[in-house]
Amino acid sequence: MKKNKSMMVLFLTPAILIFSAVFIYPIFRTIMMSFFEVKRPSMPTSEWVFNGLDNYMKIFDSSFFWTSMENILKIWLIGGIFVLSIALLFAVILTSDICFKNFYKSAIYMTNVISSVAMASMWIYYVYNQRYGLLHNLFKTLGFEKLAKIKWLGADMIFWSMLFAFCFSAVGYYMLIFISGIEKIPPELHEASTIDGANKFKQFFYVTLPLLRGVFKTNITFWSINAAGFFVWTKMFSPIQSENGTITPMVYMYELIFGSKIVVNTDAGAGAAIGCILTFCVLLIFFIFNKIIKNDDLEY
Amino acid sequence: MMIWSIKGGAMTFFRKNKEKSREPINWKRQLHMLPGHLILLIWIGFTVCFIGWIFAASLSTSGEIFKGDTLKFASGLHFENYVKAWKIQNVSVYFMNSLLYASVSTILLVFICAPAAYVLSRFTFLGNKVFKSSLVMAMSIPSIMIVIPILSITTKLKLTGTRGLLIFLYVAVSIPYTITFLLNFFGTLSRTYEEAAAIDGSSAIKTFWIIMFPLAQPGIVTVSIFNFLGIWNEYFLSLVFASTDSKRSVGVGLYTIVAAMKQNGDYGALFAAVIIVFLPTFILYLLLSRRIIVGVTGGGIKG
Repeated sequence: MKKNKSMMVLFLTPAILIFSAVFIYPIFRTIMMSFFEVKRPSMPTSEWVFNGLDNYMKIFDSSFFWTSMENILKIWLIGGIFVLSIALLFAVILTSDICFKNFYKSAIYMTNVISSVAMASMWIYYVYNQRYGLLHNLFKTLGFEKLAKIKWLGADMIFWSMLFAFCFSAVGYYMLIFISGIEKIPPELHEASTIDGANKFKQFFYVTLPLLRGVFKTNITFWSINAAGFFVWTKMFSPIQSENGTITPMVYMYELIFGSKIVVNTDAGAGAAIGCILTFCVLLIFFIFNKIIKNDDLEY
Repeated sequence: MMIWSIKGGAMTFFRKNKEKSREPINWKRQLHMLPGHLILLIWIGFTVCFIGWIFAASLSTSGEIFKGDTLKFASGLHFENYVKAWKIQNVSVYFMNSLLYASVSTILLVFICAPAAYVLSRFTFLGNKVFKSSLVMAMSIPSIMIVIPILSITTKLKLTGTRGLLIFLYVAVSIPYTITFLLNFFGTLSRTYEEAAAIDGSSAIKTFWIIMFPLAQPGIVTVSIFNFLGIWNEYFLSLVFASTDSKRSVGVGLYTIVAAMKQNGDYGALFAAVIIVFLPTFILYLLLSRRIIVGVTGGGIKG
């Protein structure tokens, strides 16, 4: 087909212009900002003062930063293992001979399309409530008095309550990606292993799992992006002021830039530094998993 | 066949599906699958329970909720909770804002991204690959990385807190996902259509709008559903850029209501507000779940 230069320019320009204006330029400016002393986000570039790595030093000295990094690591690792294992379990069940597959898939994915604010409100004001909540009533009916008395939103439980609520909504998405991965594995492979005498479990561990490497990488990538942007749930679980239990880098960064009860003097430069560290971590994870899991050699 | 309507597309999906599942259910075999059924049913049952309860609570009063009598409706159904939430709590404003933001941005995205995705998937040129991979990179960067510079520019231009800016930003941040999704879709369309059209003397631009664009409609519709849902539920940009209450979207609006409700304690109206925010995406999902589920793994994801 002949190239049509004017059409290419016409069709691409709007997308490229908007993309550069909203992604490329701001990203570079944020990286630059992390090396300057910038108090307010709206401060003009002419008032920026270069201060080298001071912003990073300030961040590394802050206990909030380390708490937030610890929290995000726990969200990523523990939440990730939880979500991906449940998603894989559901995917395996739903690619077997089970009936009502489509109903199950739609019902499990449903929580993904609901606004996180609405979901979080439901968890906080109903499921975790101390007086009339779902968990309270459930454990009371089952006779677990001790469990019924747990303060799910108390200081020592709030992180786990928040993480569980977040993971619960997320499972459906990763399940669908696993399902599409499993469906792409040719049935002959399973048939062949059945003839060779492998039972269902052996088949899963020696045939299905190794062939799902690429899908795992996709899921881990998406999970990492999702976890790095952890923000709304913290805001919902501790609306008035950030607590050690729920703070994440995104929230801390937001507070550094816009101010809050714990951050009286805003410091946009330090905020930008956190953003850079966070982005660096996400890219590092991509790099590591790309090295560990190679899926180029997969061909069916 | 050439022109698919949303309904037509969805109907084909349903029909295909019915044909597949028409074979009779083998109950004996399903009994063998009982543990599987149980696990899934417990998970789903939990979701149904708590959404059902929220719905019941939205028709109840704070007193009843606290006494644990939500499901008894002793004092009748309190539809006035919805009226209160809609009018006094400003949900109507947030709702209309979100509807405006989501629908306008979704439509703009189609006209910006479909042509770009078409050119990127059809022609090889310098920078094609770079642009494609920077789109993928952009999807993985936390949104707060781009917010500060945009905020400082828009404050200078006195644009912060306008509806136009929010729509522009929603369009902009959805561009990487939309183009990447449509790239794969255009890739699957045969080149013979354009060749035939070129022989008939149609210009390339005309060929795109008259032939390729309609052919890509199933993909465009799917990605638009995702864009609509995503923008409807968006929280962060609205929090930063909609500085006044009258410009807020449902996400931030609901957050404000929840924070206020803690003080005045009207739980009935709180749950009614939750249901109002939840309902549009839920109904959309009920109508289009098949298409959404196929679409999740349709674009941009290689496994």
